[in-house]
Amino acid sequence: MDILSFKVALAIYFISALGYLTSLYVRRVLVAKIATWVLTVAFINHTIFFVFRYAGTGQIPIMSLHETLSFFAWAMSGIYLAFQLKTKTRILGAFVSPVAFLLMILASVGLGGPVSIPPALQGNLVPVHVALAVMGEALFALASLAGAMYLIQEGLIKNKKMSSFTRILPSLTDLDRINHISLLWGFPLLTLGILVGSIWARTVWGSLWQWDPKQVWTLTAWIFYALILHQRIAIGWKGRKAALSSLLAFGFLLASFVIVTLCFVTAHTFI
Amino acid sequence: MNIILIGMNHKTAPLEIRERLSLACGDDVTLLMEMIKMPRIKEVMYLATCNRVEVLAHTADTEDTVERLKEFIFRHGNLSVEEMVNCLYLYFDHDAVRHLFRVASSIDSMVMGEPQILGQVKDAYRRSVEHNATGIILNRIIHHAFRTAKRVRTETGIAGNAVSVSFAAVELAKKIFGSLKGKTILLIGAGEMSELAARHLINNGVDRIVITNRTYERAAHMAEDFQGTAIEFELLPEKLRDVDIVISSTGAPGYVITVPVIEAALRRRKNRLLFLIDIAVPRDIDPAVGDIDNVYLYNIDNLQDIVDNNLKSRVKEAQKAEIIIEEEVVKYQEWYNALEVVPTIVSLRGKMEGIVKGELARSGSWMQNLTDEERKNIELVAVSIINKILHDPITGLKEESRDQSALPYIAAVRRLFGLDDI
Repeated sequence: MDILSFKVALAIYFISALGYLTSLYVRRVLVAKIATWVLTVAFINHTIFFVFRYAGTGQIPIMSLHETLSFFAWAMSGIYLAFQLKTKTRILGAFVSPVAFLLMILASVGLGGPVSIPPALQGNLVPVHVALAVMGEALFALASLAGAMYLIQEGLIKNKKMSSFTRILPSLTDLDRINHISLLWGFPLLTLGILVGSIWARTVWGSLWQWDPKQVWTLTAWIFYALILHQRIAIGWKGRKAALSSLLAFGFLLASFVIVTLCFVTAHTFI
Repeated sequence: MNIILIGMNHKTAPLEIRERLSLACGDDVTLLMEMIKMPRIKEVMYLATCNRVEVLAHTADTEDTVERLKEFIFRHGNLSVEEMVNCLYLYFDHDAVRHLFRVASSIDSMVMGEPQILGQVKDAYRRSVEHNATGIILNRIIHHAFRTAKRVRTETGIAGNAVSVSFAAVELAKKIFGSLKGKTILLIGAGEMSELAARHLINNGVDRIVITNRTYERAAHMAEDFQGTAIEFELLPEKLRDVDIVISSTGAPGYVITVPVIEAALRRRKNRLLFLIDIAVPRDIDPAVGDIDNVYLYNIDNLQDIVDNNLKSRVKEAQKAEIIIEEEVVKYQEWYNALEVVPTIVSLRGKMEGIVKGELARSGSWMQNLTDEERKNIELVAVSIINKILHDPITGLKEESRDQSALPYIAAVRRLFGLDDI
């Protein structure tokens, strides 16, 4: 049952992504509106999957790599849909839903297999650590997607290339606001995630910090984000610079994830 | 027809050249006087807006007048001949009429369907009339142009949707700011187009407006109109910290807003986005300001690009308008062709005979008591009365036609007797 709801969610994410991309192509907001509803259905299905999964295994389903990726997709879609209620930035879904879909594809590899958790990761704090960190990163992903769209829209307006494309993209202020709010929420979530992780590390390994490669890379990204937030809030960075830096920061976060996973032995190796 | 239209517009001449020409053409009346004094020019109208310069002339010698007008424009435009040659267009006779109809109907405007141009044509025409620079032909063409413009406006959707610079400005502002609620506009200088843009923005949610002008009284007066605040011109750089949208349309020859001014303001406003609209020709805002981060500068030419996009969806409306214009050009030609002695006499007679027939038919009920002979006599009397009435006018027309000056008489007869059913 859980597998089925996952597959259904995957298929609906795909339809939603197609819908959003079509709306970009035909330049009609109506298509995006429909795609938003489709995405909502996918999200609900996805939620059902988590519920079934939890009921089936008795553990919070964010322990394995595929579960984490799928949780990432779920968190990102959910947060985007929540934004959707506040601002009329439907077209942003054209960037969010394909990413969610790709994450789901990756997540579907090794789906449903039994998850054996090494003793070091068996504890109540671990899912909390993962959930907080993934939520924070999902918000950063959203910030970077909004930032990317901002850069496109800004480039069009700045260079006087106003077209039907500009017309369906959200306004600069709305995109900037999403970028800002995502950073504003993502940062404390990631911070909490890191803190919970290090508290758990102390109970397992005896010290808060192990100089694990993953920890080092993430901390660097964290400092990067701290700087961006500082520039935004204290210096008053807005618009292009803020969008560009959040995009770069997320690129860094992503690169660190890939490099660490491929090149280093770490306590964060996913199962 | 010996009608000439020479000019340049936003399609043929870049902003820089129009800028120089419109600077040179500040004093319309002296130019008009100079043109009407040219030999062989009978009638002339001169229209200059920030997007176009047009001279419409009725002449006795087309070639000669074209040369004179070209020379005149080169001299006053203060431009090299090569620069000008590429920018100028030249239309004759019904092409000239068509062009004027298109201009007045706002089909030829930078922002197709924008309403200001008709008022500008009316002003230009009034100036010509006041200086006795128009006569039968131009009066007819221009009045016909007004009629055509009115038809286009009411019969097509071309002006139904606000396809204008101001609409483009609102659309842009929304793409920058999202909602315009709580935003503030700063209006620098006065001008029909900038005030219109401000009104559109206010209608779309902007709730504060600040107005400044070199003459404070003017600003204060406008502020009353807009229910806004007026500030001294010197406070402009300071005010740039608080506002979101700036519309500038002063008549200043140099830049009113420069890069250092904006940079200083941006620091104080914590980089909040700033949308600058420069409607003035010559420009008020240094183009380099547009390169500053978080500042969006659009001048009148930039707004055109957006509008062109809007216009694509209105191509059908424009096509309808072109059909109307074509119909009106044909009607004008018919009027012009009839402006000769023989057709005028024919239609004058035709009209009179029609009246006699009509009246006899109406009197048929009481005349049936009369004998055939009596009825015939009445008809004869009626016909001989019109012949007597028409005798002098017709002789007069025939006499005038010998020395080429019949036109005013023909036009007068056609007008007084209502021979043109337009």
